[in-house]
Amino acid sequence: MLQVDGLSVRYGAVEALQGVSFQARDGEVTAVLGANGAGKTTLLRALSGLVRCRAGSATLDGTGLIGRQPEAIVRMGVAHVPEGRGVIPELTVEENLRLGALVRLRRSERRDAIDGIYDVFAPLRARRRRPASSLSGGERQMLAIGRAIVAKPTLLLLDEPSLGLAPTVVAHTMELLRTLSGRDGLSIVLVEQNVRSALSVASWALVLNLGRIVVADRPERVNEDADLRRHFLGF
Amino acid sequence: MGLFLNTVLNGVSEGMVFAAIALGLVLVNRATGIVNFSQGAMGMMTTFVAYSLLSGGIGYWPAFVVALAAGFFLGAAVELIFIRPLQGKSPLNPVIVTIGLLVVLEGIAGSIWGVTSRGFPPAFSQRGLRIGSTRVAFSTFDLFIVAAVIVLMAVMIAVFRWTDVGLRMRGAAFSPEVARLLGVRVGRMFTLGWALAATAGALAGLLAAPISSFGPYYMDLNLVYGFTAAVLGGLLSPVGALVGGLVTGLCISLVGGYLGGNLEPLGALALLLAVLMARPQGLFGSAKARRI
Ligand SMILES: Nc1ncnc2c1ncn2[C@@H]1O[C@H](COP(=O)(O)OP(=O)(O)OP(=O)(O)O)[C@@H](O)[C@H]1O
Ligand SMILES: [Mg+2]
Repeated sequence: MLQVDGLSVRYGAVEALQGVSFQARDGEVTAVLGANGAGKTTLLRALSGLVRCRAGSATLDGTGLIGRQPEAIVRMGVAHVPEGRGVIPELTVEENLRLGALVRLRRSERRDAIDGIYDVFAPLRARRRRPASSLSGGERQMLAIGRAIVAKPTLLLLDEPSLGLAPTVVAHTMELLRTLSGRDGLSIVLVEQNVRSALSVASWALVLNLGRIVVADRPERVNEDADLRRHFLGF
Repeated sequence: MGLFLNTVLNGVSEGMVFAAIALGLVLVNRATGIVNFSQGAMGMMTTFVAYSLLSGGIGYWPAFVVALAAGFFLGAAVELIFIRPLQGKSPLNPVIVTIGLLVVLEGIAGSIWGVTSRGFPPAFSQRGLRIGSTRVAFSTFDLFIVAAVIVLMAVMIAVFRWTDVGLRMRGAAFSPEVARLLGVRVGRMFTLGWALAATAGALAGLLAAPISSFGPYYMDLNLVYGFTAAVLGGLLSPVGALVGGLVTGLCISLVGGYLGGNLEPLGALALLLAVLMARPQGLFGSAKARRI
């Protein structure tokens, strides 16, 4: 379980996060919603060690994350699919997956783990030796998520996975996230602007506005609250 | 015919030395995206280390190995001390630092060992091999140069393509932030890239010394040609560096053999201009100009 308490991040004069607190339970998708510039990406980057926090704490199953380097946080079982997916286009599909498997798996475990990803995402198997730059948007998404889960993380951070994808692919992705959290007990923090899709799979929803959590509630309640949607989510 | 053959053979062995320098430039450029003007001077330093050992009565091969190891550590130290602190700001700053380093290293070598040129022993005989009844301008040492540089390139390609550390290095070079998110210690990979580049530079220094006038400045002109070779090859590709080295070596050898030795640098310049006008990304560079 991820437990976040009073997390604050500042970029110069910009207070990107101010005292953010929440929990993300194992086996559940926690949706983080909010308009542009609300601080969603900053929250994920703070959790994976890419930006330094001014105050607050975050623990994964009791172990502190804040203050550690990203390289160390990955080793603790945190996988982060960044904004834009972070597929390395110059590397082949298989090399991207190998890179994901490298630090947390023993040499002998990697082959099986990568084959397991090909079982879930069959189109990737056919393209394993092609550079990732040759993939379609949907396939890149598969690769990004496959690379994040190949080493069996305990916490998966996803930054706007639906961006730029066709509606059917988005639906597919959300279905997959539901499966991953339900079956593997993975805790998923899902940052989305695609509110409907995110709420459809989430067990808990947070709404960020100007760096603060303004709503933390069950997804149905967020969906029903027209004022809230108009105010903070813009629809 | 004899002149032509010997000119070509001479170009091949010189070209392979330029290729070794170019391979070092490619390694640094791939790892940290900058051009290292001190590549030659680092090789000069480590070759002087070997020279001191040889003068002290140590055998050639132990001195050879020590020079390569010295290159490895020198490269790592330079990255950690001079390049790392400048990263993230203007990419020009570290490049200028490498120019400064070139001057400083040559100054240090001059004050320790003196500025006069001297001989440096080859690994093998430099007497031309006999083909039938004629002797050609290609010796056992030239053969060693060719073999050593081909091995260097092959090892580089194999490490990048087939090893975990090579994959980490490529990931770190292409997308440092993504690589960090996957647990790659990116800074360490940059240091390793520089260390390997300087090891290649040390090899280049040892190969060039017996066929140049060995002293603090003997790598300067070799660096110019090695740089030509690397740019011809696209500054990113090991195979490109090797081919670029051969083309440069042949070009300046032919210019030197038929038009006069003074025109050699001009020949390299003309070659560089001609290729870059036809293919601005170099012979092996991709049009995208990405770091590959
Ligand atoms: N590197 C940075 N330097 C300065 N300010 C930044 C930086 N990154 C983000 N910000 C600012 O911090 C605030 C939060 O940005 P963040 O990227 O976390 O928002 P977001 O919710 O992910 O937005 P989006 O939906 O557009 O991705 C914004 O005001 C943004 O301008
Ligand atoms: Mg964002």
